[in-house]
This record gives sequence, structure tokens and C-alpha cells, in this order.
Amino acid sequence: MLRIDIPERKEWKALAQELGFHFHTIDGEPYWKEDAYYQFTMEQVERDIEAPTEALHEMCMELVDKVCHSNALMQRLALPEHMWDSIHNSWKSGQPHLYGRMDFAYSGDGPAKLLELNYDTPTSLYEAGFFQWVWLEQAIAQGILPRHADQYNSIQERLINAMAHLGDRLEARTLYFSCIKDNAEERATVHYLQDVAVQAGLNAPFIFTEDIGLQAGAEHFVDLDDQPIHALFKLYPWEEMADDAFGEAIPQLNTHWFEPPWKAILSNKGILPLLWEHFEGHPNLLPAFFENASSPPLPAGWVRKPFFSREGSNVELITPAGQREAVGGPYTDSPWIRQAYHPMPRFGDNHALIGSWVVGDRACGMGIREDVGRITKDSSCFVPHAIV
Amino acid sequence: MSTQDRTPHLPRRKRSGRLTLAMMGASAFGLTACGQPPQEEQITEVDFDEPKSFQSVEECVAENVYTRSACEDSYKASLEAVPRYNTLEECEAENGEGACAAPTEEQSQAATGSTGGSWFMPAMMGYMVGSMMSNTSRGRSFERVYQEPVYRNRQNQGNWNTASNQATQRVSQRNESMRSSVAQNRRAASQRSGFGSRSSARGGWGS
Repeated sequence: MLRIDIPERKEWKALAQELGFHFHTIDGEPYWKEDAYYQFTMEQVERDIEAPTEALHEMCMELVDKVCHSNALMQRLALPEHMWDSIHNSWKSGQPHLYGRMDFAYSGDGPAKLLELNYDTPTSLYEAGFFQWVWLEQAIAQGILPRHADQYNSIQERLINAMAHLGDRLEARTLYFSCIKDNAEERATVHYLQDVAVQAGLNAPFIFTEDIGLQAGAEHFVDLDDQPIHALFKLYPWEEMADDAFGEAIPQLNTHWFEPPWKAILSNKGILPLLWEHFEGHPNLLPAFFENASSPPLPAGWVRKPFFSREGSNVELITPAGQREAVGGPYTDSPWIRQAYHPMPRFGDNHALIGSWVVGDRACGMGIREDVGRITKDSSCFVPHAIV
Repeated sequence: MSTQDRTPHLPRRKRSGRLTLAMMGASAFGLTACGQPPQEEQITEVDFDEPKSFQSVEECVAENVYTRSACEDSYKASLEAVPRYNTLEECEAENGEGACAAPTEEQSQAATGSTGGSWFMPAMMGYMVGSMMSNTSRGRSFERVYQEPVYRNRQNQGNWNTASNQATQRVSQRNESMRSSVAQNRRAASQRSGFGSRSSARGGWGS
């Protein structure tokens, strides 16, 4: 794994605008960067990223099954009790999921270490699945990369497959898509998923999360015309949905959710200590434990994370050398876990984090985020990769 | 569709051969996929049809969308992608108890070209068939693209609609009293803003 400086493509910003990638620059700061790329060998991709991702995914599925059959484990993960039936039933009935992303610390040397799972509301999908692919094709065409360059990326193709598979099981082949208002990046991500759904032959109407309706006597949540929503994709986390005013209605109505309720088990950092308990010593796992009242102050070489947190918020770490880093945030009302510190590789000022995608049940691609800090945040840049 | 399906022999590669967007402005986007397809052919435009999933070749044929040979080829390609195990125990260890089966003679023939040998695989729940229509420098052509199981075969995957409806019915019964109490509190008109209430407090939810 190398970080290689290269020229940018000509006119890439105009192309990004044309292709709906309006968030390539956020608040004047670059989000997409292509003055460098991360270079991998085929062996690194297949042996160190793809195969472990599939193995870890299976371990996660095994744990979901265990948690679904144990109220004690549901409790340990702080899952709200009124959701237990929905979680259990959605798993027992085999409700399929769409996708997930694992974040790895990986330097090219030694096994990739799982830092966390983003299995409920993963983003950076459009840039990984589509724009990164376009970058590679054009970089080859413009002579920036050699002709034999490749990329670990069949994300969009797999998404189309998965959507088509789901489409056959959906009422009127219709899947609603939703995200909250006033967030351009999330709207773009959902727009991309709608695009993928349309390519898979689905009807893909959009409704803002806030506009979803609840109607007396109805069997489903309803859209703005009071029509039933049989199936709904939500870029909105389960722990918040469950807590919202309509949360209590979720188990009573027949609306199918993507991701399904059982994903609540995996979108929670409490899964990391459970993984360690069940698969202790696995080369791709880091030691992780639940924090409790008698836990001592965070020692050097450890990271502290809340159960529910996004984009690095409320994460605190102390390196083995005693350097402390922390990101503030609002996620202070849930339990915490501790995970052994594992350094991300550093290239110049940048720490690189690997996002490894799972679609359906298959590992299928990756995207790299980099940050000058050791904690990856929403401001961390996306840098493309190639197999050379 | 054409019965003369050409199966391109691709070099091993980790990225999709071609991608396009339907809604996000890619109509103005004329991209030539590099080194793919090989040689002189230039893709100028790509359309996907609506791929479908089927439980069996017969179901695929009965749909009357694809030729029998397209249905059979896709089925065979799906079977080739299914993991194989030497023993039932190994298979169940990875896929769950009761989730595995020995292949039928027909499946064995399709997957390996021979009916001999003893191996096990996760029970197939279905497979995808679809096609992609490309305008190329040689004219319009069809190529199969969807030909693999999307999901590992875990529990009831593949039957979720029926199964979940049953589950939902059970939940509904259990929550009958709860439902009526909630219903009493509702107005006849729809309520809104029951989800997403914290969006103003936090910037977004993607992770």
C-alpha cells in the first residue's frame, strides 16, 4: 500500500457537477482529492481486505443470530425493548439487507484490523462506487495511470444485483427512499441509491424522513398522498428512529425497512466487544470491552467510543506514547466501549482509513478516507485507489 | 433476446466493466471503458433491462422474458459461484444448521460438468438473470451480466415477504391492545414529523 502523487484529471470538477457530485468540496474544503491515489497489489486486496471482510461479515451474522435469541444480549447492547420483537422477527423471517461498510486500519503489512462497522447508515457510497470508478477509467484514458491499472470496486454492479433481487419481492416493485431535510450530502447519497434502484428496474420515489406519515387504522406508514409505504429505505439510524415519536408504531405496522431492524444490532459499537468475546484472538479483530462504572481512566494505548456515534464524534484515544486525541459531539447519553489502539498508516500528514464494502453478503469494493488526525471525521477526505 | 449470447472472456479484474447513471446527469456522460471490452469495440451507450431473480430454470423460462439457453447459462454460472464443501459439517459450520444440501445430479452436472464426486453446498434460494444492452461500434448487442446468487443462503433469505408477513401478523396479534390504544390517540388525518425530529440538532446521519 503506497500513496502516490499524480496529476488531477482535466476538468474533473465540471464533470463532478455534471454527475451530481456536488459535495466534492464541502464548506470550501476539498472532500474529493485526486492529486494522489492509494496503490495496492492484487494480493493485498484479495488476501488482506476482501477475504477478511467476508469472514468478518459471516461472524457478524452469527452474532446477530445470537443476539436475536437473547434478551440479555439485547439489553447489553442498549436496544430499546419495544424494538426487540421487530429486530427478532426481521431476522427470523430473513429480511434481507442491502449493504454495509467495515472500517479497517491497514498498512499493507500485517492483517487489517476492524475499527468499526457501519452497517445501518453507511455513506461515502457514491464516491466509492461510482465517482472513484470514473476516476480510474479516465485516469487510464488520459495516461495518468497505466492501462493495466485496476480497482477493487464492483460496488454499483452488486447494488444493482441486490436491488433487482429485492425488487421481485417488493409490492409493485416499489421502494421509497428517504433522508432528513437540509443535508445535501445525504440527499446526494440517497439520490444515487435511487439511481441504482431505477437501473435495477424498481420504482424509487423519494420522501423526506420528516414527511413520513402515520394514519389511524393504516397498516403501513404513508407518503405525502397518504398512500401506503410498503417498503422504505432510510438513511437514518435505528437508534434514533426507535426513540422518535413514531418509534412505538414501527413494530405494529407492516412497512418493510432497509436496512431491516436487525441491523440495529450491528450499528452499535457494543458489537465490537461481543465480537471479541466470541472470536477472541481473531487476527482481524482488536481487543474490545464494555466500559463500566468501575473502569479506570482511559489508559495509554486505548480508544474510547460511545455505542452510538457517527463520523468520529465523541471518540477519544491515547496512543501508546501518551498522545491524546478527542473529538467532541452530542453522543454522551449511551454506554461506552474501549478498544485497543491500533495505528492507521501514516503518509506524510495523512492517516488513511479503509472502508470495505459489503453488498448483499459479498465483499465488493473499498474507499479510502484520510485525515490529518487519528480519528476519521465527516471532514476527512476521500482519495481514490488503484490496483497496480 | 438474441440466442447468440457471446460470453466475453475477461481478464481477472476487480472492477465493474461498465457503469452508468440513469438519473444523476450521466446522459451527457460518454465514457469509454478502458481495456474493456477488449480490442476494437467501443461502448457508446449502455442500458440495463430489469433483471429478475428466479428459483429455478423452469420458472425463468416460464416468465417468457429470456430464452431457455439464457436461463440455463445464468443458472449454471450461479451454481459455479456457489461455495462447495467436502462435508455436510463444513458446510453447516459456515452456513448454519440445515442450510446445506448435496447437489442434485442436475446441479452437479451444471456446476462441475460431471455428476460424480461427493460435495455439499448451501441450498440455492434463487439466481439472477438480466441483460445489458450496449450500443457498440459494431452495432447493438446484448450481453448477460447478472448471473450470481446475491445473498448467501441463510435462514429464509429469499422468502422474506411471506415469512415476514407471518411474523408481522404474530406481532400484530400480540400488540393488539397496544395498537388500539395508540389508534385512539390518533386523529383521522395523518400525522407527520414523527421521524427525524433531531435532524436540526445534528448535521446528518450518514456514517
